[in-house]
Amino acid sequence: MGAASSPSCAALASWTVAAVLLQVAGLSLFLYGFFPVKPTLPGLSGAESYRTPSCGPVGGGEEPALPPDQLRSLYRELSGVPRVYDRLVLMVIDGLPAEFVLGRGGKPPSKEMMESMPYTQSLLAGCKAVGYHAKAAPPTVTMPRLKSMVSGAIGGFLDVALNFNTQAFLDDNLLDQLHAIGYKLVMLGDETWIKLFPTLFYRQDGVSSFYVKDTVEVDFNVSRHLEFELDAKDWDALILHYLGLDHVGHTGGRRSVLMTKKLKEMDDVIRRIHTASMSLQDSPDRTLLVVVSDHGMTEGGNHGGSSYEETDSLALFIGHSVESSYCSPYDQKEALQVDLAPTLALLFGIPIPKNNIGILLPELVNSLTDDQKLRSLELNSWQIVRLLQEQLPAICFEHCINPNDGWGIGMLPESTEEKLCHLLSKAYASHQSPRLHRDSDFKSVEAVGHFGTAVDAYYGFLRYASEWLSHRATDKPLYLLVSAISLMIVSCFSLAGIISCLFRGNSSSQVEQHSELHLDKHWHLDEVFVLMGMLLYVISLGSSSFVEEEQYTWHFLTSSLYLIFLFKTVQSMLKESNSTVLRKSEAKIFHRNNYSFLTSYKFGPGQRDGYKLYTVLVVLVSGRIIRAWHQGGVNWVHILDISKILAQADPYIIKCLQIISVLVVVVLYAVSLMLLRTRKVHVIGLWFSHLFCGLLVVLHIWESQLNTSVLINHSTTSIAQIFYAIASMSIVLTILVSPWVSPIHSEEAEPTSSSSSNPEKTVHLHGINYSVFLTGITYTMFWCLLQLLLQQAINAIPLLLILLQIISSVIHFSREKPLHRQWVQVVAMQLLGLTGHFGLGNTNSLASIDVAGAFVGISSYSTVLSGLLMFISTYGSPLLLYLGMVVYISVKDNDDISAPQLFKWSSILNKMIALPCLVPLLINSIALTSYTIVLLLMRNHLFVWSVFSPKYLYVCAATVCTYAGVLIIAMTAVYTCAVFSFRTRSYRNKSM
Amino acid sequence: MGAEATQISAFAAAAAHALCFAGLAAAHSFAGRGALISDPALALRLLVVCEAPLVIVVFSLLRRDPERCSLIKAAARGLLGLPIGAFLNAFGAIVLGAPVGIKYWTATTYWSLLMSLFTFVPAACVFGASKVDWQNVLSYSAVFLFSHASYCTSSNVVDCMISVPSHGAVIGAWLGAWPMPLDWERPWQEWPICVTYGAVAGHLIGMLVSLILIVAHKRRVRVKAD
Ligand SMILES: [Zn+2]
Ligand SMILES: [Zn+2]
Repeated sequence: MGAASSPSCAALASWTVAAVLLQVAGLSLFLYGFFPVKPTLPGLSGAESYRTPSCGPVGGGEEPALPPDQLRSLYRELSGVPRVYDRLVLMVIDGLPAEFVLGRGGKPPSKEMMESMPYTQSLLAGCKAVGYHAKAAPPTVTMPRLKSMVSGAIGGFLDVALNFNTQAFLDDNLLDQLHAIGYKLVMLGDETWIKLFPTLFYRQDGVSSFYVKDTVEVDFNVSRHLEFELDAKDWDALILHYLGLDHVGHTGGRRSVLMTKKLKEMDDVIRRIHTASMSLQDSPDRTLLVVVSDHGMTEGGNHGGSSYEETDSLALFIGHSVESSYCSPYDQKEALQVDLAPTLALLFGIPIPKNNIGILLPELVNSLTDDQKLRSLELNSWQIVRLLQEQLPAICFEHCINPNDGWGIGMLPESTEEKLCHLLSKAYASHQSPRLHRDSDFKSVEAVGHFGTAVDAYYGFLRYASEWLSHRATDKPLYLLVSAISLMIVSCFSLAGIISCLFRGNSSSQVEQHSELHLDKHWHLDEVFVLMGMLLYVISLGSSSFVEEEQYTWHFLTSSLYLIFLFKTVQSMLKESNSTVLRKSEAKIFHRNNYSFLTSYKFGPGQRDGYKLYTVLVVLVSGRIIRAWHQGGVNWVHILDISKILAQADPYIIKCLQIISVLVVVVLYAVSLMLLRTRKVHVIGLWFSHLFCGLLVVLHIWESQLNTSVLINHSTTSIAQIFYAIASMSIVLTILVSPWVSPIHSEEAEPTSSSSSNPEKTVHLHGINYSVFLTGITYTMFWCLLQLLLQQAINAIPLLLILLQIISSVIHFSREKPLHRQWVQVVAMQLLGLTGHFGLGNTNSLASIDVAGAFVGISSYSTVLSGLLMFISTYGSPLLLYLGMVVYISVKDNDDISAPQLFKWSSILNKMIALPCLVPLLINSIALTSYTIVLLLMRNHLFVWSVFSPKYLYVCAATVCTYAGVLIIAMTAVYTCAVFSFRTRSYRNKSM
Repeated sequence: MGAEATQISAFAAAAAHALCFAGLAAAHSFAGRGALISDPALALRLLVVCEAPLVIVVFSLLRRDPERCSLIKAAARGLLGLPIGAFLNAFGAIVLGAPVGIKYWTATTYWSLLMSLFTFVPAACVFGASKVDWQNVLSYSAVFLFSHASYCTSSNVVDCMISVPSHGAVIGAWLGAWPMPLDWERPWQEWPICVTYGAVAGHLIGMLVSLILIVAHKRRVRVKAD
């Protein structure tokens, strides 16, 4: 009867797959709607950019492609602004915070910083250079920032996902414009440029940003060409991209000892370029040196987020047009990174890129006359108006400047269009009025006043338009998002429905069993707590602080759940000591049909309760140590924690801790293999391979130096590769072979005259458990070694503690008479994984992703491989828990399959993996769906791009991680059961 | 189980709770408004000093086995239970993430003593080392309000008086910890201020709830008797 009422295995699986597919569909629909690949205007802007923008849709006024020389002279004729410079040197210093050069809040930088860049500081003090704090848009990652510097457009948020897969840049940009007028471009440095512009450069030498620990060679490879290039006069634009400073930051943080040395090196490069360009005979004043950084860095040297430290990038201009007699170089001059594009375009006499939202920087055009300055602003405004017309077709330049047409009257007051139009017409009018008076050579104070108001009016329009355009990205197709969310909600409810179906089936099939736990239909404290905890978590997602400090929430919930387990354990101990006499007879019954491996070592009743207590205590105490290891989060990240204390200590201490962790993992694996009590060849072989892998990891740790600038050690790469080969081979062999070699008969499992259990069945169960246990423990322990290889050195001990937590939990849950229902146990293990994720130093900001781990053992750049390694090292802890779940399903109490009529392969499988697969899926689905709703509600929140969107990327990755984990659990169990069913059938046939 | 011995009236229960409440109120008036925020250690010490004698005396009077156990002995049990309960509470708080720096040491100690007075000491005074009684009072939490809420029966009014307020204190303290990670930068977000507020509020609500349960039960019994 039980089989009839509980859903069949195939139905369950297909329903689950359907729900998951629905979720995937909803998620991809939402991603498509929320992070649009922003529509950009195609093509390069040409001569039309010097003409007044026309009304209506922007016509594709295709002009015949002119040869470079003619194009150059055409632009010169049309623009009305003379070219200020002929040669451009664009020096990109990756990751240099503007604070290092320009100070902060109106104060000059620290003395140490001033002294490490003497030449640059002397230029600033001598008013020969002007520097801006150029605010970079998040995500502060190199490729999107380079794109926005050359195109003036802020890319979509998902550009960060494409950062590892750079493709040729097709939008309108400065470099293509320069190329079109015949400039010869030379590129030295980060090969991202070559990926963006594969055919553009006249000469190029790319260096890879691949070896993050290399801080010397990477810059030497750029500077070694410098002498040649500075002597050669054949180029017109030179791009230098120095990566070393970013690498110094990644390895040692802002205050790294290597930082001042690196700044001195950069200062020296600036000095060499500047003196070389000044000494040109024919045109000493025609070279502009621009020193920019693509982004800043946090105190720890990472970047990706949107804190002031990360977005504070530098834009420093050295050239004759910025010189002035008086200046205050350390005033906090704010600009946007995108302002670089229109400024350089106007200085070099090329059209402003079509998608630009930047504004001309005022101090760069000091050498121009007032009319020319106004003309430059006019050109900038025309370009912005064209971009606005694409987004707001109602805007029309001619109508705006002739308000007599009555166009402006019929509109809603204070609409965006009206405001823009008003600002534009004001600027245009104040620009035109002095022109009317020009014939009457009327050069008076009044004209100067007119100039001032015209400039102010233009900037008024430009700033408003630029801000509006940059916020434009937050407009979302609402109906698409709502339908995506409803798909996810349907999927979430169907998962919940499947689980409740399962429960209903179970409870009806268990009526006959006289287990006191199952008869008790009341909600237990831990179950109510899990439900309330999920509710509180979902509510907490709405607050940006709780998203930033999510590690508190998970640690609090996990520890509370385990405290409740502790409480229940104490309670049951009290109960049992009160009824000791009763227990003694029971103990015998339970002794008989117990084949789980961890508990096969018998304890007396008292001892057994003792170890129950100790396992919970181990989980709690380890959890607290992990919590103290990384402070994490955003607001209190500076508070001292264990990892910071260790980082200041002797590096050998960390190395010793790492090696100790490896040894403990190896020993734990040996012990767990011994629990199998078999000396078969495959087990011994596995043990040897694990030992060898452990030795390889130790060797790798020994070889890789901490905080050094030596070139990547090739021996470490090959060690890691050997490790990957051996580990993957051992795991694959274990999965494939272990069900075949596991005992189908066990001498322990003598068919006793048990009333409830069918002897044949117990034999199978024993074999299946044996095989799954072997596979699970192999997964877990090899995974630990892999993590010890990939994770930062400081994370070795937290990883070990997470492993201890898993083992303790599995022992705690593996008693004959479980204290907690199975779904609570699965939830507890999943919570451990989530807490561990933050315990390994991860946060909800993109800056905390450890890039160094993604390149261990890879000898050439591969997007797929390094992406995979990055995923493995970031989601190490949740995946470890899913692998631990495989061990758990092999040792958990399977007593409830004892009714003989229930003995069928599908029902064994059902009992074994239904809950361990469905509960993680449901919890992840709840988190995903509720966070998606939160993101939709918060789409206009101030922090949507800095706090909520990065977290959404993490939620999506966690979803992938859940799918992977559940797939592993399900596949392992299904394969094992299939092999066993085949073997029993053939065994029966043989015996017949 | 000596039902006649523990049979106490609703009025006595109310008086006991009122005395405990008076202790808290007195400490509050001594410390003055806002003392918990400006000097948490001092305010917590005042709370412990005012509350401890009251709790120990009140619950020693309600001891389970008055004929075998003198008042002095019950009070001594309570005094012994105070540090044990404080240790358990401190363990729980630290495991849940309370800071362990030297700076927080005194505040943590006084907070856990206060929590011990709310949770452990009453039970220690009343039950002593009787395992059966401890098991009974603990098992309330397992089915706390979720199943048959008929446990405030005449035989264990005292159980109800101990169990409900102490659960209230624990749940209140647990909920009180939630605002701590918010970035409001208010002084009361520091450990252990908001947790103490939560614990005291939960304890008071628990007292009220237990009184209501007792009164409701007595009324039901009387109606049945009629
Ligand atoms: Zn960069
Ligand atoms: Zn970087």
